[in-house]
Amino acid sequence: MKHFFRSLREFPALLNVGAASMVAYRAEMVLWILSATLPLIMLAVWDRVAMDGPVRGFDQGKFALYFAATLIVRQLSGAWVVWELNHQIRTGGLSSALLRPVFPGLWFAAENLAAIPIRLVILVPIVLLIWWWRPELASNFDAIYVPIALISTLFAWLGNFCIQWLFGSFAFWLGQTLGLYNLWFGIWALFSGYLIPFAVMPESMADVARWLPFRALLGTPVDVFSNRLPWSNVVFELGLQLFWVTTLGLLASFVWRMGLRRYEAFGS
Amino acid sequence: MAVFWLAWTVVPLRVVFDTRVGVAGWTYDQSLLVVGFFVTLKGLLDTFVEPNLRSVVEQVRMGTLDFTLLKPVDAQLMISTTKTMPAKLFHVVGGVGLLFYASGQLPQPPSIGSVIWAFLLLSSGLACIYSLWLAVVSLAFFFVRIDNLSYVLESVLDAGRWPVDLYRGGLRFVFTFVVPVGLMTTYPSLALLGNLSAGDGMLSIVVSFVFLFLSRQIWEFALARYSSASS
Repeated sequence: MKHFFRSLREFPALLNVGAASMVAYRAEMVLWILSATLPLIMLAVWDRVAMDGPVRGFDQGKFALYFAATLIVRQLSGAWVVWELNHQIRTGGLSSALLRPVFPGLWFAAENLAAIPIRLVILVPIVLLIWWWRPELASNFDAIYVPIALISTLFAWLGNFCIQWLFGSFAFWLGQTLGLYNLWFGIWALFSGYLIPFAVMPESMADVARWLPFRALLGTPVDVFSNRLPWSNVVFELGLQLFWVTTLGLLASFVWRMGLRRYEAFGS
Repeated sequence: MAVFWLAWTVVPLRVVFDTRVGVAGWTYDQSLLVVGFFVTLKGLLDTFVEPNLRSVVEQVRMGTLDFTLLKPVDAQLMISTTKTMPAKLFHVVGGVGLLFYASGQLPQPPSIGSVIWAFLLLSSGLACIYSLWLAVVSLAFFFVRIDNLSYVLESVLDAGRWPVDLYRGGLRFVFTFVVPVGLMTTYPSLALLGNLSAGDGMLSIVVSFVFLFLSRQIWEFALARYSSASS
């Protein structure tokens, strides 16, 4: 723990390094961002469905706002620790990362945060384009929700980070866990609101999905952004999100420490 | 695994058609055909095309592509046929199974003629998707690190899970002629339903030949620029 707090002081420096590496690999980063276009496809599909009349109260404007928010939250809360950890554990690159006086997780976190400016550069024109295409989305939008949505997005990022840390740490035993993570991603996409807004899900599906961790990683901030939550529910939903983030964080740090002991046992 | 992904593909479709009987002239059972063709095509792609082209990117980076180029066989043939991932064939089985199921749900079973048409169009879809991949891989000669471009292509192909009639305006044009996911999954479905005019079918086949030809040109152009490990 002391290790962790001492390295927290170095965080600004890490951010700087992260930003520099984002600039160096900007083309690759842009491609990464463009590969998350699924919300746009889903927007096109749902928009066509809503053309014949609102779906469970969702009209075209609401769908546009919802999927614009999905795109924003997904980009701002994205992490890629699972790829990094998998690679580093397999190649032994982790050894040198562990030798540094900085907790490796902080370094990955700084990289994620440093990517936000470049993500925004791409995100803003796409969102403006959606706005131009469906100006109605503005009438459903309420700026007062934005600060809370941003806090909720931060929680979602923490959750994503922890879950990827968890799956990455499994690589200590399995060597390669990307397939496993893909499976998680698939289930996540169905139950987080990424493909189907919670408000549009069949009731039985929504009732189950509401209590699963997936919603905390995307659905909650998106629903706050797109004004889908009554004020009385906001505190509860954010609390639930925090509960899942803490649970995932504890789980991840437990598995990480177990794995680390095993990794060291190799004598590497 | 294949079963899981099959179900995964069908769930959003189920939810959409839970609220509507028909969307843009498509019913649930008809859209299942589109999904069936999508899963089949993706399975074929993952089995025969993707592993090969991915390894080319690696070979360009390592410089080992030289060994292939030295052989007196056409390089495109060589790089396109060296690897397969048989495990992914389960997806093809799943996709074909879904096609059989969805055809059985139709008011009248497809005729032999329409099955032949569907098969032809599926092949031309595969040709299109192979061409796109080859063009993307050719870019590796210029940019070296191209792994992420393949993710972009893959995510655009996801649009093929839905009947192309759901997209409108510019998007419709893109998905018919630029990244012809419509030709790959919607047209074969229309053929099975007996709703495809012979003209559209021919057009689709012509487009696939144009794609094959163009990608061959891009590949040769890129190859000419290739500076190998030694030169």
